[in-house]
This record gives sequence, C-alpha cells and structure tokens, in this order.
Amino acid sequence: MGDGMNRRRFLKVLGVAGGGAAALSGCGIGPEPTEKLIPYVVPPEGQTPGIATYYASTCRECAAGCGIQVKVREGRALKIEGNPASPVNRGRLCARGQAALQGLYNPDRVTGPMRRNAAGQLEPVSWDDAITTLRSKAAEARDRGLVFVTGLESGSFGDLVDEWTKEAGGRHVTCEPFGFEALREGNRLAFGDASVPTYDFAAAGYILSFGADFMETWLSPVGFQNAFTRAHSFESGTSSGMAKFVYVGPRMSQTALSADEWLPVTPGTEGLLALAMAQVIVRQRLATVPADAARLSLPAPASVAQVVGLDAGTIERLAREFAAAGAGLAVAGGMAAHYANGAEIVAAVNILNYVAGSVGRTVKFGADLAHGSGAAGSHRELSDLTADMAAGNVAVLLVHGANPLYALGGAFAQAWAKVPFKVSFSSYLDETAAGADLVLPDHHPLEQWNDSRPRAGVYALQQPAMLPVFDGTLQTGDVLLRAAGKPGSFKTYLQGKWEALYQRLAGARGPGFDQWWTDALQRGGVYGDAPVRSVRLATAAAGVAAAAPSFTGDAVAVVFPHPALHDGRGANKPWLQELPDPVSKLTWHGWVEVHPDTAAKWQLASGDVLLVKSAAGGVNAPVWITPSVRPGVVALPTGQGHTAYGRHAQNRSFKAFDLLDVEANEYGGRTHVVGVTVAKTTDHRRLASTEGTGRQLGEDVAPVLSLERARGLHAGEHAIEEEGVPEYARAAEEGWAEAQHEKASLGNYAGEHPRWAMAIDVGKCTGCSACVTACYAENNVATVGEDLVVRGREMAWLRIERYFRPVARGAAVSAVTTPMLCQQCGNAPCEPVCPVFAAYHTTDGLNGQIYNRCVGTRYCSNNCPYKVRVFNWHNYAEADGVWDAFPAPLTWQLNPDVTVREKGVMEKCTFCVQRIRGAQNAARMEDRTVRDGEIVPACAQTCPSDAIVFGDLNDPRSRVAQLAEDPRGYHVLARLNTKPGVTYLAPVRAGAAEEA
Amino acid sequence: MTPKVLRDIFHPPQTPGVLAVFGHLDATVDAIGQLKAGGHGDELTVYSPIPRHELEEALDQPTSPVRMWTLIGGMTGCGIGAWLTLYMSYDWPVVVGGKPVGSILPYVIIMFEMTVLFGALTTILGLILNALLASRHQGTIAYDPRFTNDKFGIFVRCAPDQAASLEGLLKGAGAEEVRRA
Amino acid sequence: MADSPAAAGASVSRVTYDFVTRAIARTLGNPGKGYYLLLAAAVSLLAIGIVCLLFLLRYGLGLAGYAHPVYWAVYITCFVFWVGIAHSGTLISAILYLFRSGWRTAVYRTAEAMTVFAVMTAGLFPLIHIGRQWYFYWLIPYPNERGLWPNFKSPLIWDEFAIGTYFTVSTVFLIMGLIPDIAAVRDVATGWRKKLYAITGLGWRGTNEEWRHFTRAYLYLAALATPLVLSVHSVVSWDFAMSIVPGWHATLFAPYFVAGAIYSGVAMVITLLVPIRRLFHLEEIITVHHFENLAKLCLFTGLIVSFSYCTENFVAWFGGNPDERAGFWYRAFGSFWWASWTMNICNGLLPWLLWFKKVRTNITGLFVISIFVNIGMWFERFVIIVVSLAGEPYSRWTNGGYNPTWADWGIMAGSFGWFFMWFLLFVKNFPAVSISEVKEVLVPPRLAKGRVAR
Repeated sequence: MGDGMNRRRFLKVLGVAGGGAAALSGCGIGPEPTEKLIPYVVPPEGQTPGIATYYASTCRECAAGCGIQVKVREGRALKIEGNPASPVNRGRLCARGQAALQGLYNPDRVTGPMRRNAAGQLEPVSWDDAITTLRSKAAEARDRGLVFVTGLESGSFGDLVDEWTKEAGGRHVTCEPFGFEALREGNRLAFGDASVPTYDFAAAGYILSFGADFMETWLSPVGFQNAFTRAHSFESGTSSGMAKFVYVGPRMSQTALSADEWLPVTPGTEGLLALAMAQVIVRQRLATVPADAARLSLPAPASVAQVVGLDAGTIERLAREFAAAGAGLAVAGGMAAHYANGAEIVAAVNILNYVAGSVGRTVKFGADLAHGSGAAGSHRELSDLTADMAAGNVAVLLVHGANPLYALGGAFAQAWAKVPFKVSFSSYLDETAAGADLVLPDHHPLEQWNDSRPRAGVYALQQPAMLPVFDGTLQTGDVLLRAAGKPGSFKTYLQGKWEALYQRLAGARGPGFDQWWTDALQRGGVYGDAPVRSVRLATAAAGVAAAAPSFTGDAVAVVFPHPALHDGRGANKPWLQELPDPVSKLTWHGWVEVHPDTAAKWQLASGDVLLVKSAAGGVNAPVWITPSVRPGVVALPTGQGHTAYGRHAQNRSFKAFDLLDVEANEYGGRTHVVGVTVAKTTDHRRLASTEGTGRQLGEDVAPVLSLERARGLHAGEHAIEEEGVPEYARAAEEGWAEAQHEKASLGNYAGEHPRWAMAIDVGKCTGCSACVTACYAENNVATVGEDLVVRGREMAWLRIERYFRPVARGAAVSAVTTPMLCQQCGNAPCEPVCPVFAAYHTTDGLNGQIYNRCVGTRYCSNNCPYKVRVFNWHNYAEADGVWDAFPAPLTWQLNPDVTVREKGVMEKCTFCVQRIRGAQNAARMEDRTVRDGEIVPACAQTCPSDAIVFGDLNDPRSRVAQLAEDPRGYHVLARLNTKPGVTYLAPVRAGAAEEA
Repeated sequence: MTPKVLRDIFHPPQTPGVLAVFGHLDATVDAIGQLKAGGHGDELTVYSPIPRHELEEALDQPTSPVRMWTLIGGMTGCGIGAWLTLYMSYDWPVVVGGKPVGSILPYVIIMFEMTVLFGALTTILGLILNALLASRHQGTIAYDPRFTNDKFGIFVRCAPDQAASLEGLLKGAGAEEVRRA
Repeated sequence: MADSPAAAGASVSRVTYDFVTRAIARTLGNPGKGYYLLLAAAVSLLAIGIVCLLFLLRYGLGLAGYAHPVYWAVYITCFVFWVGIAHSGTLISAILYLFRSGWRTAVYRTAEAMTVFAVMTAGLFPLIHIGRQWYFYWLIPYPNERGLWPNFKSPLIWDEFAIGTYFTVSTVFLIMGLIPDIAAVRDVATGWRKKLYAITGLGWRGTNEEWRHFTRAYLYLAALATPLVLSVHSVVSWDFAMSIVPGWHATLFAPYFVAGAIYSGVAMVITLLVPIRRLFHLEEIITVHHFENLAKLCLFTGLIVSFSYCTENFVAWFGGNPDERAGFWYRAFGSFWWASWTMNICNGLLPWLLWFKKVRTNITGLFVISIFVNIGMWFERFVIIVVSLAGEPYSRWTNGGYNPTWADWGIMAGSFGWFFMWFLLFVKNFPAVSISEVKEVLVPPRLAKGRVAR
C-alpha cells in the first residue's frame, strides 16, 4: 500500500481545502468568500472526485468489535456505517460507533509527543527524543517494577504489548471499568467454565434479563439488539407472536424500555429470584430438567418473595412462562453483575438457564467473547496495582487506551503520585495523560493498523481509512517496536500474525496469503463460527445461595454506565454529549434518578442538587424525578465530571465513580451498587432535558397493542382507527382533494413520480438513539451546547420520544419509545404558509426546504403539528464564533453533499435527499430505475433493530408500500388530514393493557 | 427657465377683478345670489374657511369629477391584483400543501388591497389635478389671509370699467371690505 | 349638523372660528422644557431599541427568548399590538365621518396621526423578527433574474399587502385632512414656521373649486378606508387563523381581532388625548362630551372582545375537539395562567366600569382605565401567540416554556420610543386638532337680519 500512502497524502491536501470550504460556506452574512480548491490534475487510481470510497475496518469505541465501513471522500473520512459482512453487528452501528469520527477530528487531540520539563510543564519533544527517553526509562525500570496498563486489547496489539512488557520485565494490566469479572466467576461457579458464552437472542422464545443492559453497554450491544428485535418484534398475520421480554432490576435502563414487563426487585436479590424460579421449574417439572440438577438446593418462591419484593404468585408465573417458552433465555449482567454478590447472581441465572434447558440452545459456550478472555483482566489486578504503586513498587507506568486516573480516582490518584515515571499513549489530554511525564499520542483507530478478536472464530481487521489528521501522532505499535529496537513497522508485525492465522485457517488450500489478506481487508476480516462447547453443572453450583447483600444509609445508589458516554470515554464528543440519554432525555450533564415517592419523602423537586455520599466519597447531583427507578433507590450515570479531556468534557457536573471503592470485591470485580446517605443542598439547576411532556395524555403518537389484539388482526383491517375527515364530509373532501390535485399537477408535477416514504416499526424501536447520531453525522446538524439545550434550541432533525405509559398507582411503569422526524406530509401544513416558497412540495413527495431561500419567518414550524422543524438561532458554523459547533478540525467531517446552514434559517429532515438524488443519478447513469431498498437514509442504515424501512410508496411491490398496509400501521395525527409519508407500526406488548 | 406650460400652471398671469371680504355666511350667500342674477355666475371665486352646504347650494356647481378617478383607479387596482397573483403563480408553479397552483380565494385578498390602494392614490391624483386646473382657469387672483380663519370672500373677475358697479353690489350685500385687484 | 351637541355647547360659549384658529395655532408655539424632556425620553428609548437590534443582527435571533416550539413571541405580539392601536384612527376619521357623527371632529386628527405612527411602528416588527433580516425584500414581488416570486397563498404576504396599503392610505388621509389646516395656520404664523406651512400647505386658499373637489375626494377616501380598516386586522388575524394551532385556528378570529384592535386603539386615543388636552389647554375644544363618546366606543368594543373570549372557550368545550379543549385548558390553568388572567381582567372586567356615567365623564378615571386596557390588549396577543404555541397539544413531547430576554424588552421599549418620538414631533409642528372640521360643527357667523341660511 506504499503508493496508496502517496495517494492519500495527495488527497489529504484536497481534504484540507475541501474542509475549509465546507466550513466557510456556512459563515456570516452576504456572499461567501471564494476558496481556492486544488483540482485533480492526474486523478489518482480508483478515485473520482465527489464519489466516496468505503474502507472496511473495525470499530474500537467499545470492545464489541463491530465491523464498520468508513466513507471517505477526497481523502477525508466523512461517515461511519456498519459493515454488513461482519457477523458481529450485521451492518448496523450504535451512536458511539457513529461518533468515532468526532474522536478522529477532535479539536483537543494531542498533536505531538510531549515530555514534562523541569518546571513541571509538558513541552513538545521530537519522536526520537521521546522514544529514547522511553527506552532508557524502561531499561532503568527493569525488575524495579514496570507496568503497562491498556484497555481491552484482544488483537495483535495486545500480543505485542504482552511480548514487549515481558521483555522489559514488567507486567501487562487491562483496565476496563465495566469489566466482566462477575460473569466469568459466575460461569465458573455454575459450570466450571470461566469463559463468556454467546447468547442467541434471535432464537429465544422468552427473554429474561437480570440487569443485563445488552442493548446499550453489555458485551455486544448492536449485535444483541439486532438479534433481540428479530425475536421480540411482531410480524402481523403470523399467529406465532413474539418473545416476551421481562427485565429484572431496580432501575429501568434503556434496555428495559423495550420490556413487556419490568420487575423492580430489591437490589441484589436478582439471584434469589432466579433460584426460586429454577425451584419452581424443577419442582413442577416444567421442563426436562437434567438429572444433575437434583443436587441443587433451591429456595421456594414463598421463602424469598418477601426479600425479593415480588409475591410468590408472580415468581411462579414467571417460571411457568419461562419454561413454557421452550427456548427461554435468561441473562445476568450489567448492574446485576456489579453487586457485591454479582458472581452468585450470574451463577444463579446460569442455573435457571440450565434447569430450563436453555444452555446449549440459547446460551452457547465456546464462542468465548473477548470480554471473557484473560485479556479482559479484572479489577483485582488494578487494585493490586494501586497497592503496588502506593508501596513504591512501580518505577514506570505506561497507560494506553485507558483513563485509570479518571475511572479509579481516589486511592489510585494518590498512588499515582508515588510512581516516578508515567507514560501515556493517549490521543487526547485526558486526566491520565495530563498527569503523565511522557505523552506519546497514538493514532486514532481510524488512522491505524490493528485487529481484534471479538469472539472465537471472528478475526476483525482494522485499516487506516485516511492519513493521520495530525502529522505529530505515531502508532503506539510502531513506538514500542522502535523502543525495543525491533525492525519493521507494526503493520508488518500484524501481517506476520495474519500469516500464521492464514496457515491455520486456510493453509495449503488457500488462495495465497496476499490474495487472502486483500480479501480480508475488503471484507473487514475473517469470519467463522466456533463449535459449541457443552457444559455440565459444576459442584460449586450446589453452594450458590445468592443471598441478598445488605446496604447501609438512606438509599441504595446504582452507578450505571451512561449509554453514550459509557465510562467517560465518550465525553469529549459533542454528538454524544448532546445525544439525549434514552431514558432521562438529559444532555451534557449527569443526574441522579429518584422515584416520585422517594422525592416526596425527601421534599425534592427536579433540578434540586442532592448531595449523595458513600463510604468512598460524595457527589453533588441534580435530581431527575422519574418512575423509572425503584423507590428507595437512586441511580447515577458515569461519564461526566472530567477535570481534563478537552473542551467538551471538562468540568461537567459530577463523576459518579467517586462513590465507588477502588478495592476489588470477593470475585475480583468492582462493586457499583452501594449504600449512600443523601442530603438536599440549596442548589438548583435547570436540567438540560429535551423532554416536554413525558406522557401521551391520550394522544396517539405511539398507541400500544396487546399481544392478543395484535394476533387477532387480519390483513386489510386496521387496529388504529384513523378518521381524518368526518364521515358525512368524506365524499366532498375526496372530490375536492382530487380536483385540487389535478390543479396541482402542472409543469414538473405532471406525470408519474415516486413518493418517498418510510415505515417505522415502533415495536422494534428500543430508543437506542443510534439514528439520531447518524443523522447528525450525515446532515451536518450542529450541536448547540448545554445552555442552548436548556433554552430549547437543540437542532436534532430526528428525535426519540420516550413516553411512560399510565399504570395503576404503585405498579411498575412501562415505557414506549418512538422516532419522530419530518413526516413529509402530502398536505403539509408547513408549506403554504411560507411567504417565499422555501418550504415546498417536491415532485417526489418530499417537503423540500430550500435553505438559501429561507428568510426565517418560522411560520412553518408554528404550523407543523409534529414540531420537527428546527431553527438556526445563531451561526453555529461561524469559525471561532461564540456558538461554533465545528471547531477545527471537526469541520473536516462535514458532509460535502449537505449545505451547512447559516443563522436565521429553518432546517429539517428531508429523508436524506442527498442520498435519494445520489441513487437516482447512479440509476440514470446505468439507465435503469431505482431499485427498492437501494436508497437508505442514514437513520435507517444504522438502526440496529432494523425498525426503519424506506422506499417508494407509489411502487406497490416496495417493502414500504406493503408495510403501509400492515394492520398495525397508523399515521401520527392522521385526524389533521396531513397525509403523512411516514407509516408507524403500532408496538405490541405481551400482556399489555390496550391503550389508545 | 421653467417651460411655459409649468409657468402658466404655477404662476398664471394676474387676473383683474374685485375682492370682497364678508364676515357673515348669509351675507356671502346673498351676494352670490345677486352676482349670479347680475350675470357674473361664472366669474366668481368664493373663499371660505370651511366647506358650507349653503355656499354649495348658492353656487350650485356640478359634482366634482374626482369620483370617476376613484372608480377607475379602484378597478385598475383590482385588475393588477388579479394579474399579479395569477401570473406570478403560473409563471413559477410550485405546489404547496397540496393546494392548486393558482387558488383564487386567497388571491381575492390581494385584489381587494390593491383596489383600495390604487383607488386611494388615484383619488388624490384626481383632487390635485382638478384643483390645479381650476386655479389655472382662474389665474392669479386676489386673496386675503383671513379667508382661512373666520372670513368669507368673493372675488369677481371683471374688466376695470365694470369694477365700480360690482363694488356697489357687494357692499350692498353686506361686504365688510371691498378692494380692486 | 348645526345642532350636534358640540356645536350646541359651543354656540353659547366664546368658541368662534377665530378662537378655534388661535387656540389650535397656539399649540404650535415654541415648546417648553417638559416637551423636550419627553422627546429626550422617547429618543433614548429608541436608542436602546436600536442597540439591541444591532446585537440581534450580529449574533442572531437566539439572543431573544425564543424556545422551541415558541417560534413567535414578543416581537409578533408587539406587531399585532401596534397594528391594533392603528385601527381606531381610521375608524374615527373614516367610519364616523360616513356616519356624520360631529363629535369626531375634535379628536380625529390625533387618532389619525396615531394611526400612521402606529403602523410605522408595527411595520418594523416583521422585519426585526425574521431570521435573515437582510433578505426581507424577498417577500416583495419584484422581478428578479432568478425568476422567483413570493407565495401569495401565505398569510404573511397578505399581511404585507394589507399593512402596506393601510399605511399608504392612512398617511394620504392624514395629509389631505391637514392641508386646509396648515393653510389656516400659515395665514396666522410668523417666521420660519410660516415658510414651512407655506410649502406644506400646497397653496391652499379655500376657494369654492378647491372645496368642491376636496370634499368629494375626502368622502371617497373615507369610503375606501372604511372596508380597509376592517380588512387589515382581519388579515392580521388570519396570520393565526389560517394555521392549525389550537387557539389560533378559529373562524371567530377576524371580527374578534378587529373589535380588539378598535378597542385598544380607542384606549390609546384616550391615553394620548388626556395629556394633550391638558398641556395644550384645549378643554373647550376637546370637551368631556368627546371623552364620553370615546368611552362608549371603548365599552362597546370591549364587550365584543369579552364576548369573543367567552365564545372561544365555549366552542372549545362545546365543540368537543380534544386538542381545542387541551389548548384552552392550558391557556387558563397552564404555566402561563397569570398572562391569561391579566388579559381577562383588564379587557373583560374593567370596561364594565364604563357603564357608569360617573366613570365615563371622569377624565382621570378614563385615563387609568385606558392604560389598563392597553396592558390587557398586549397580554391578549401574548397569550394568543406564545401560550398557544408553548402548550400545543399535538406534540406533547415538545411542549416548552418561554422567557423573554433583554433583547425582547429592549426592542419593545425601542418601539415605544419610536412611536412617541414621531407623535411628539407631530403635535408640536402640525395642528393636532382639525381646525376646519371643528369650525364645521360651530354655528357659522350670520347677520342679525333674521335671515337664516337656507
């Protein structure tokens, strides 16, 4: 790829010019400054100006290892989309994956190596000096304690680090704040197998999650969500129905939003519930229970009901349902795996799966998910490390891909001071890098070579999608090799590894390494399946009691991972900061969830600042009062409260990790659920929420159908009655409309045209909000920051509305989420009121919005019943302006196909019209019509649950046209006779009371 | 040097005649009657601080032609309104809200407003032109500042030889003051 | 006409043609300290507004309090408020002229001037409130190389035409009525003012020819202005009625707005006349009788407005449309209840005091009530615009709040400065009371020869 490098270097120049133009085009008043663009003199091979190239790679935002395709134009990475070839995520991607670009183009990246000088300041140095220093320090540190801390590295880089540290006579520690120690320990207890199995959600007939947030942060969220929705969605016409989903845990997480039933049990008693259910199954022989289950001593429902907080009847019902479903799937994880007794809870759930016969059917050992491998390390290693550091047994500490100083804080921070020489390989000046003596900025994953093994049989490749944004950065692999005085680059090292892999997988039968390697690069890796390993109950299983832990204080605090910011690594990306949390809908700051009853007891109002104190420390958190948390429990997200890590992350609200003890618990994990005392402070803050009214109040935005009702529906009938016009006036109205239409089909409007439309299955929507971020990325939507969000100025074209559904007093609440975007109405109220035709109806049925014709009267928004139009109150694209949303080099990410809007202009979703036109042009070039499914808007493309279908409503064979006829189909506010182009499919909830 | 036409309009030549100042309305009316009887009907110019129907009746002149201006102006405006809206709609046909490109109903509003606008402007135009024509017809005639305050006045255009008799007539009718111009 | 009360009252008093001329000409004398203080106050308010506007142009409308979904707020409120003010002027000068009600003569000039300046003020707000103020001219149908035209289906374009026409016609109307009076003043004035009036008087001399055309023209202008008055605020109301927002979308809106406009306008006339009358010593020309008539007009329109409030709410309930109901419930008991109730009390309850002749004839009382009516009418527009949007029941999820900022208040203050600046300049330089028409309602001087005018 040597010439490839040259090509990219050449293209990069263009990248700069193009980027500059894109940024400038948005600025100021009056004519735009002319930009000198360098034209292609000799177009590089395989490059057409304006035509994007896609590079297959692997997402490194979390350890799931989703396959991605990076859209590159004129040498700039513009958009990340899932790689359909990857079995991990099947072409889908989450919000964090989408936001990787803002890590790549982050304005606060470290642009070159730095060393702490005598004055204690970090000053730039040359790479040669830096590497020499590293070499000498490493040499000094030999057998005086050298520790290399990395994030979860399951691939060749991990191997290199292992080798390197071994040679340097040190040890390699993995820092993964939300580790999976409990999972491994629990599996060991139950089956004597400490690996992590895969969970086949798609095959499950009944899904029972004990705290496992498998659609946001647990193991492989995108893949799991995709599989989950295939099991949980309802296919009209089929009587088969859907897998019921029950969520057990004191807090309703994003995953729990999709639950048919949410059981807010007493914190820590999840295991007891599982065991009691197992007991019922065994006692009542509800399944073909394996013989060895006999020696288990399981508690009867009645004996635990009190502690768990459910009545015995419910427990029995759950057990019966679970067993009856045949292929039931119970998963334990997330917060349930972060109690002091997390391992036993996992073991208990394993036992439940075992007795119900799910192990081997829906729970498959053998895949050995990367998180489970030894590479994942454990929190104990970190607490031991902390002790060593404190004791002065660590001379050199190297940190890569982790931010322990932030995540561990407290004791670790003190120990940190005792380490004479600390090296950080971070691309950003996070807390750890800021405290290091030597900073050797690594390439961003999108700029580097690497690979990872998300699970057995899957080898995912990572290749640079573009030249490094900053010349000053250097891939850590290369740095280590140079420091060790080894020849070759990390790429050659990687290829060496893959030679070996080639020999193992393809061997003599293969096409030859080079060919095989190129194929792998194109497909994003090598994908295979691991054989399923059968497991038997271990002896230790008998001893699993999963007794409920005891908590002291006023309340139990759950410190959960923020779905977007996770353990804080997302905090420097404005897209993720401004992405409303799927449950709380809060942006840019942390919060503490308090149940209304508890709030009443403590006399709290939303926005009051609450002082939450645990044995380890305390935080000041603004209160968000919500029914989505168990009374007596408070829940706080991690991710905020950085003291460094760039302009977007720094000094935002609080760091929930402060509540946690650094000491590892008995199974080597970190306890995330602790007893706390609370005290109301006099402080108050306006929550940066995007939620207006969280209840539908009888409105029909997302009417929920019961499973029975849905099963009863036949083709042709419609579950939700839609009466736009009263009966008596219908004939007149239709005649009139027809006449209107005739008068309206002139000029370009005459003749046949497609009508672009969408079908959105609300039942599949989990509220994960990947679509929202994808929309930001595709359409140059500006982020506005906390203050403006508070003032209702967020610019999202597509929002996820989360409604809590009315329930009986005291009952556990349930929720429904639905995407709301421009409905591209046939009779659009927004259009006729525009005095200058900026809002108009395109021939193919879109509500066009001509940004440079708009004068900003804002009448269109007033007249839009869906309120999906947003206004540019300020110039968000003004370079270095007060509200600059794209500080350089974030401007490089701007999509050249989409205008950057200036201040005073109304903007809105147009179904990614640039993609529509692109596909139409492509079709015209090939002299054919656009195929159904050829056009995929950014939101539909990324949606992990495949809830959004786009196509031509006038083509009866198109998927969207067929879905529009679905018995569950309805149009929001159809009674206003707006004739929306978006058909929603009503969500179905097993055992849900009919709403609307 | 202003062209002759304009000079004639703005500075018409001095007209010879007699100017009488009246303090009372009925006296003025009386004088007008006598003058008309004396065959001076169309050489009269009556000044008054306010319009009085007594004077109008005494003079009994035809109704002002201004109303025709209003009518024509109004109709023109209405037409322009219709043309503006319909032409522009079909010149750049854009469909909005599923409504017809040229929809008369909302355009009626524009037509109405244009009717009023043009009607009003032409009315003013009519007033100005008619008044100008009249003053050109009269030429420059004698005037007294009190006429805009509380006095009525009559100016009779006449040759110097007739002046004496007219003075007598006016005095008789109750003029407070009579002078020649 | 001679037996209209004013004349009857005047015939026994010392009010003669000459007295009228002098009395009114006196108001144009060189102003005193007080006048300059007022003018300075107005100008400095205007300055504040201009500064705020400059900030707005540089940094964007975001400086104002707008919050999704409240995309129209104080600026449009002020726009409707000022347009409303503008209505009584033409009503009094045109409609009452056609009805031949003599009492209008003493007050119509002030009302008309107020109209013109109020429209000038109102006209600014649509320009201020649009996002890209520097492209305001795109709303005008001018031929351009891009071949683009405005959308005549948009109520905003109707607005542009209605307001434009209204401004032109009412200005013409004002100037036309002024000419004979300027001439009258010219003939008694001295110094530079004489020159000024000699030019602005257009050489008026009051000949029978001039009066003949003048009276006709005036009649037809009045005839044109009358439907115009009614149309203008109807069109303004359609800015709202044509939309689908519950609380806006009502057939009631046109008459409701017109009545409201006249109501607020008359109130503003009272607010302005009381000090003028005092400062210029015009007690004998603008008599209590005039105020009582204004008060009656105020009461009448006020009752129509209150009736409209009742109708709105009744229909919202009786119509059974859940959205309408929700909208009006939110209006009355939502987070903006205080605004709604200010409106109801100031516009609905207070005018009932005007049933009592004691109140109608008590100048101070009238003054106070008129102030409250002005406040109430401002809040009416605020409630209709902001509250309907904030609590729109279609999209619950986006229900929002709204807090005006310094940018809103500053520019609103500026608009008052702008209005009063023009008004003050006018009353000191041109007859603020019609000379000729006041004379018209007096008994003309006659000889005591027993002769009576035929």
